[in-house]
Amino acid sequence: MASAKIRPALRLFFESGVDFIVVGGVAAVLHGAPVDTFDLHIVPARNDENLLRLLDLLESLEAIFRIQPSRRLKPDMSHLRSTGHKNLLTRLGPLDVLGSIGRGLSYDDLLPHSTEMDIGDGVRVRVLDLETIVAIKEELRSEKDLAVLPLLRRTLEEKRRRS
Amino acid sequence: MDEDAEELKDYSEDGVDLTLVRWFLSLTPAERLAYLEQHSGDILEIRRLNGLR
Repeated sequence: MASAKIRPALRLFFESGVDFIVVGGVAAVLHGAPVDTFDLHIVPARNDENLLRLLDLLESLEAIFRIQPSRRLKPDMSHLRSTGHKNLLTRLGPLDVLGSIGRGLSYDDLLPHSTEMDIGDGVRVRVLDLETIVAIKEELRSEKDLAVLPLLRRTLEEKRRRS
Repeated sequence: MDEDAEELKDYSEDGVDLTLVRWFLSLTPAERLAYLEQHSGDILEIRRLNGLR
């Protein structure tokens, strides 16, 4: 199995003009939390113009649903318009396109809680704040969330101590 | 506890390795992402070499 190509994937997102926010483990890593993650999670803006750009990009990434890779089911506009999670496999690795996260938070809800980050070579991506990542995990309190919360909280404390 | 003493703590009370957190925070976002890719790629390669999927 090939490793996830997160930077090349984010570069393609940046170049495509898709409005999106990086969330999940990769967002935590970008904020300095040393967590392991193997997939990229994004929340796109759900207006049709943006979703058409996203659909084109997913086509170029040869995206299919991970649940039954042998059937090679491709996401379409109706999938992208939904608030649910689209767990995809692309030629650059696993990609989760999330219509909403937490208790129904959409791109518009998350936008004020995100910052733009330079990830190298002129690529800038919008990333969910670490404070909001922690708050969402504290609210959801799944076992997976609870396991990573101490590390995220300590990273947040260290960041605050340094600023 | 003053700041110097806090810096000398290796682990938080809930078991988090603070030295790892400080090291990772010393990197730029681009470097953090590069490390993540390398790290996850290495783990998958080791699993592949051992016949694991």
